[in-house]
Amino acid sequence: MPPLDWQLGVVTSLRDETASVKTLTLALPQWMPHRAGQHYDVRLVAPDGYQAQRSYSVASGPERVGEIELTVERLEDGEVSTYLTDQVVVGDQVEVRGPIGGYFVWEVGMGGPLFLVAGGSGVVPLMAMLRHRAAASSHIPTRLLYSIPAPGSILYRQELDALQSAQNDLEVFYTFTRTSPPGWRGYARRIDRSMLAEVTRPLGPTFLTYVCGPTLMVEATATALVELGLAPAHVRTERFGPTGKEHSP
Amino acid sequence: MSDTPGDWNSALMLDGNAVGGLLEEVFGREMTSSRCQCAHCGAVAALATLLAFTQAPGVVLRCPGCKEVIVRMVNTGAAVFLDVRAATYVRLERRTA
Repeated sequence: MPPLDWQLGVVTSLRDETASVKTLTLALPQWMPHRAGQHYDVRLVAPDGYQAQRSYSVASGPERVGEIELTVERLEDGEVSTYLTDQVVVGDQVEVRGPIGGYFVWEVGMGGPLFLVAGGSGVVPLMAMLRHRAAASSHIPTRLLYSIPAPGSILYRQELDALQSAQNDLEVFYTFTRTSPPGWRGYARRIDRSMLAEVTRPLGPTFLTYVCGPTLMVEATATALVELGLAPAHVRTERFGPTGKEHSP
Repeated sequence: MSDTPGDWNSALMLDGNAVGGLLEEVFGREMTSSRCQCAHCGAVAALATLLAFTQAPGVVLRCPGCKEVIVRMVNTGAAVFLDVRAATYVRLERRTA
């Protein structure tokens, strides 16, 4: 494994995902394939030497050679996320190191069935897994349960709709915790044990689970899954605070 | 940050995944999937699953079972201070060629 060095990525495109979430594409001079679920550290250095550092999950699959996509949620008082979502323009350089992590990762070779549970922007590393799965033309039975406050907060909506089909055995379930779309007949509450049991029933008694979201949502989901009989070793979690994925190193 | 569990601000709590970069910088290898044993309660857990408190000059990693402190890391810029006295062991898998 090469040493984890900082490198200057070049922003090659910017895309609005929602009103407060943006995806940056970075071309990396020392690109290497990541494992879906890994993250990069981003470091900003002010002229006076002050540094701020945060971690952002890679949203793209490892099949995208030479570049990575980072999806960043703008936090009102986030000193890194506001810079990345408000200030950065195409052609800017951003200092990053990665890919980082070996626990919260999934690759087609690890098999399944696969159950992904996302809270808010916790969907980002899970999207990398789904993109990797699609690029590998995998038919591993997969369910994504995605909890968001309202329809406008869904990330990657069109792509998720396009990815799911009966042929490749991927199904996406949304649950809206604050505002549901008009006429919505699906879930409209926080994730709970009965919801988890319903969504995972077609996967059989055991499956690999990845849960990413705010701390309390992750705790509740992991606890409920173990209560439902899933082995703790099959439940991998990644937490971020309720204020988002922005944190100091 | 206080070491008293009752004083935690759980809203600021992350997990060991979040400090994977710092751990890799210090150990020269991916560490989040390495397991350690808590010296307080004996639980064995991947470093990724330890509760991480990072909103401070240093990083504190606590046992997800008993909530006691297992790891403290402080990066001074010139050096990293690493206190792992509350890990009975940290298991490092040999790299397979």
